[in-house]
Amino acid sequence: MVGISKRFDATQALGGVSLTLYPGEVHALVGENGAGKSTLIKIMTGIHPADEGTILVNGEQVTLRSSAEAQRHGIAAIYQEPTIYPDLNVAENIFMSHRDQGIMVRWGRMYREAEAILARLDVRLDVRGLASGLSVAAQQAVEIAKAMSLDVRVLIMDEPTAALSAHEVTQLFRQVRHLTASGVAVLFISHRLDEVFEIADRVTVLRDGRRISSTPRDQVTPQRAIRDMVGREMSEFFARTEHPRGGLAIRVSGIGRTGAFGDVSFEVHKGEVLGLAGLVGAGRTDVALALFGIAPAESGSVELEGRPVMIRSPREALRHGIAYLSEDRRQLGLSLPQSVTANITLATLDRYVTRLGLVDSSAEHAVADRFRRRLSIRTPSLETPVERLSGGNQQKTMLAKWLNAEPTVLILDEPTRGIDVGAKAEVHHIIDELARSGMAIILISSDLPEVLAMSDRILVMREGRQVGVFGRSEATEEGIITAAMGAA
Amino acid sequence: MSGTAAGPAERAAVGRRPRPKLRPERLRELSLLAVIGVSVLVFSQLVDNYLSGSFFNRVTTSMAITAVLAAAQTIVILTRNIDLSVGSIVGVTAYVTGEYLAAHQTTAPVLAVGLAMLMGCVLGLLNGTLVAYGRVPSIIVTLGTLAIYRTWLIDHARSRTITADSLPQWLVEFPQRTVVSFGGLDIRLVLTVAVVVILVLQLALGRLRWGRWVYAVGSNPDAARQEGLPTERITLGAFAMCGALSGLAGFMFLSRFGTITVAAGQGLELASVAAAVVGGVSILGGSGTLVGALLGALLIDLLELSLVRVPEISVFWRDAVLGALILLAIAGDFAIGKRLRRFWTSPPRHSSKPPEREATTDA
Amino acid sequence: MRDRVLRWRTELLLAAILLGVVAVNVSLSPFYLRTGNFVNMFQLSIEKAIVAVIMTLVIINGEIDLSVASVMGFSAAVMAALHEGGSVPFAVAVLVALLAGAGAGLLHGLFVARMGLPSLVVTIAGLIGFRGAARILVGDRSIGDFPEWFDRLGQDPLVGRFSLAFIIFVVGIVAAGVVLQRTAFGRAVYVIGNNAKVARYSGISVDRVKLVLLTTSGFVAGLAGVLFAARLGSVRGNLAEGFELDIITMVLLGGVSIFGGSGTLVGVALSILIILNLRSGLGLANIQATTQTGIIGALLIASVLVPNLVDRFGRWRRRSGPAAMPPPASSDTAAGEVRPVVTDPNRTAHRG
Repeated sequence: MVGISKRFDATQALGGVSLTLYPGEVHALVGENGAGKSTLIKIMTGIHPADEGTILVNGEQVTLRSSAEAQRHGIAAIYQEPTIYPDLNVAENIFMSHRDQGIMVRWGRMYREAEAILARLDVRLDVRGLASGLSVAAQQAVEIAKAMSLDVRVLIMDEPTAALSAHEVTQLFRQVRHLTASGVAVLFISHRLDEVFEIADRVTVLRDGRRISSTPRDQVTPQRAIRDMVGREMSEFFARTEHPRGGLAIRVSGIGRTGAFGDVSFEVHKGEVLGLAGLVGAGRTDVALALFGIAPAESGSVELEGRPVMIRSPREALRHGIAYLSEDRRQLGLSLPQSVTANITLATLDRYVTRLGLVDSSAEHAVADRFRRRLSIRTPSLETPVERLSGGNQQKTMLAKWLNAEPTVLILDEPTRGIDVGAKAEVHHIIDELARSGMAIILISSDLPEVLAMSDRILVMREGRQVGVFGRSEATEEGIITAAMGAA
Repeated sequence: MSGTAAGPAERAAVGRRPRPKLRPERLRELSLLAVIGVSVLVFSQLVDNYLSGSFFNRVTTSMAITAVLAAAQTIVILTRNIDLSVGSIVGVTAYVTGEYLAAHQTTAPVLAVGLAMLMGCVLGLLNGTLVAYGRVPSIIVTLGTLAIYRTWLIDHARSRTITADSLPQWLVEFPQRTVVSFGGLDIRLVLTVAVVVILVLQLALGRLRWGRWVYAVGSNPDAARQEGLPTERITLGAFAMCGALSGLAGFMFLSRFGTITVAAGQGLELASVAAAVVGGVSILGGSGTLVGALLGALLIDLLELSLVRVPEISVFWRDAVLGALILLAIAGDFAIGKRLRRFWTSPPRHSSKPPEREATTDA
Repeated sequence: MRDRVLRWRTELLLAAILLGVVAVNVSLSPFYLRTGNFVNMFQLSIEKAIVAVIMTLVIINGEIDLSVASVMGFSAAVMAALHEGGSVPFAVAVLVALLAGAGAGLLHGLFVARMGLPSLVVTIAGLIGFRGAARILVGDRSIGDFPEWFDRLGQDPLVGRFSLAFIIFVVGIVAAGVVLQRTAFGRAVYVIGNNAKVARYSGISVDRVKLVLLTTSGFVAGLAGVLFAARLGSVRGNLAEGFELDIITMVLLGGVSIFGGSGTLVGVALSILIILNLRSGLGLANIQATTQTGIIGALLIASVLVPNLVDRFGRWRRRSGPAAMPPPASSDTAAGEVRPVVTDPNRTAHRG
């Protein structure tokens, strides 16, 4: 038995969790927010010390006092947002972390070795190209190459698939298999259970800081895992309630923007959820950005409730009743150091302004409180800076901001990315409720099961063009993937 | 530079975009050369006897100091910092070196240069320590040391001025010394020193591990720290190097002007930043070259000195036009550069996360 | 209560420093705490203080305006040149000067807001350019001979002991404080400084805010330039040269973060008081003005260094190992690990 085993206690975060990783094995770690996964990772990578317990690497006990020390023992971590040097090229990115190099840089050798490592991962990249020009998936591949070059023994992957399309996830998994083939132990943390069950050899569930179960993959089912995570029976996806759809909310005809997308047309009725499916890069977010005025369409027309409109800025979009919840809540959706209240009223401040032009803070507070209750936002207080909230609650705060704008059309871009199953179900519930109350919703999601479960109709895009529309009853995962990828 | 990880079937399909040989920095340097060339052409029409040897000599001598300072500033900017105290460092080193040489006339030139650079280095180390270990933002540190160093100089000098006639002959003649001459065009020693230093440093930044670390720290300081790079020492080194180069500039300043007052060097810091930026160094850190800064300094000094010679433009118009031209240069560069950069590096059309570097519309 | 103290800790620290400085000064001179003295203290730096108010908003917004001193000189030069020409009534000359300042700010604003250039660079160009423009207008001369009412407004008290400039400063800082803390515009200023993209994606017109701020900065600089000219009684081409550094020091010492997104006018008011009292006290102790500048430079550094060191010392005491850096945020962290784009104190200290 070769690997790492741990047993430790940290005051609130973890209680006596033990974990054993075997070389060449993909070990999945699942759990809700606050279950202790991040704390575990931090202990394993030397960022926080454990209060109790031991870490054994290859049978020897080690103490990890810094991330550099963890690295020396062969433990490395890759996070959801790739850590790269945008101004340096791929080869440098891979080798920058190597400590035992000479004073001079041997460019030729570096390029050759970089290409060799990428080849081992079955990845094709220009090693001389700048890292800033790479897609997120490619950047992650660089990080994996980096880990490989350091001969890691244990690679921790924290939500690596959150920003990837289905296609890129497949590639990522292939890279992971190459890794395990060379004897690396992979600790795979993800909220996407379907992926977990595809790639993992063993599944460990954490709940409230304790290890609930640790079983080989073939002895456990997703339902069992969910039950362990949540402590009760729960289906992963919310069933939509039936209701009649209302009048036409938005009609888009032939809109396009050079370099992004072209000739996109669709309608959404009030009370309807239109899912936008497709690979990352298909242009779905671009369509949303066009409708929201951040990158307006150059051709085609948009009609809202029958009236043609021109939307040239987010302000105009909001005025016309279109709101957009962006996929990147930390960078684009929330002002992190500001309070929950301030974030909720951020898009609608003019409503809380008195005649003198001053902000009415009690009105603001009332609104924020209302949303806190309605969306079950868990926060110590309404004045808490949102950066201290968990992912799911941050997402809800962002949602509250847009709901407060009372839009006719709400565009949601990856609304459940990176949040745990419990919060995800809550968000789905909210979406259903909104649809029932007559809002037209455009749901952009790379989570196919989610798209299938939530949408009344699904529009598939590929490389900037729409390639198919599916009604709820006729849509299947295979059908959508086929359309999204083109004739396989 | 296609950035997609493709499977076996797709690999063939994706193919390879013909990769251009030019990196964005080379492009910037070439466009600067072009702008310089165009300026020379334009001015040669406006001014009589523009293309003369003496003018060339004037420009190159003056530009040598600015170039060295621009290089100094560049190294610091690359690490995502700024050094506003370089002007004061120039003043201090020029003055103290002058003082020393006035008292010890037989000092070897090399020692004099070494003294200036050593002093500059020490002052730079103080800056660097406060930034790297004190974790004080560099704009605050160097705003403070700009005042502190200048105050020290004023206190030390006690209103005495260094005058040229008190200095050793070789120093006074230094600006005139020529390495090689083509007809009226002299390649002066000061220029050669500046260019050689910059080229050597550029090579160092490109070939030495420490140089790559400088770029890494500026490109992503957190990644650098996490990966175990000695970020504090790198930053400290950058400031020390900047100080040493400022000391060199101080020496050149002393030799050029001979008369040094306590106000020597005031204002040079902003010129050094301007030259670096015009030369393509990104204020955000992590990208830009010393050669670019050199060309930026050349362009700015060229414009400044050329404008003086245009008879229609009075002396007082010089700065105004210069400011406008710098603005145009930066604006033009941003507009063109953005387009060209997009063409060269071809980021995927719709990455799921807008790359942070592209955020030029948001400060 | 504890949260409140934490939020205002910078301002509390500054208040403590101010008390310390005043205490020392009082011990040096028993007449220190007289109103007359208080007002006098402001006299020499009142124009800088006025500009510091608008500079605070500009920096909180994530930008910087290095051209303010040159615009001061430029507008004063415009006024002086028009006056010398003799063709317009002086009041009109003053008006034109104010417009010129606003125009300069507008120019910067257009380049920054519409073209997206970094304000650091744009305003450096402005610093060079507008100083040059001032020299074009005034040449080597010194223009004076302004109407008596103008000189009196600049040099004599207007209400009680307080001069016009002082009143403008007080009104300005209070108004700006209200705008910053209690209006939607002020909220936008903070959010944009914190993360301009989020502001834009929330429907805030980022360009308009930046344009307004930079134009106002130019206008206020123009106003300060005119007031300065009134106080001096004459205008030269180098009027207010070098003031930008003092002004920025006033703002940064007041706890405003150079990265944008945080800081208050209360802090800046305290910092102005500290600087003025410090200069005054040092003057009492017969320390030269130039040395005073050096001391203020040291104070600026200390104001950030000391809290840093205290923080780190405290953290070191609390754990057995060295303080480690937080990793990039995992999506489900409940603790506040912010992606370092925003808060890392080691990140760049200059505007871009």
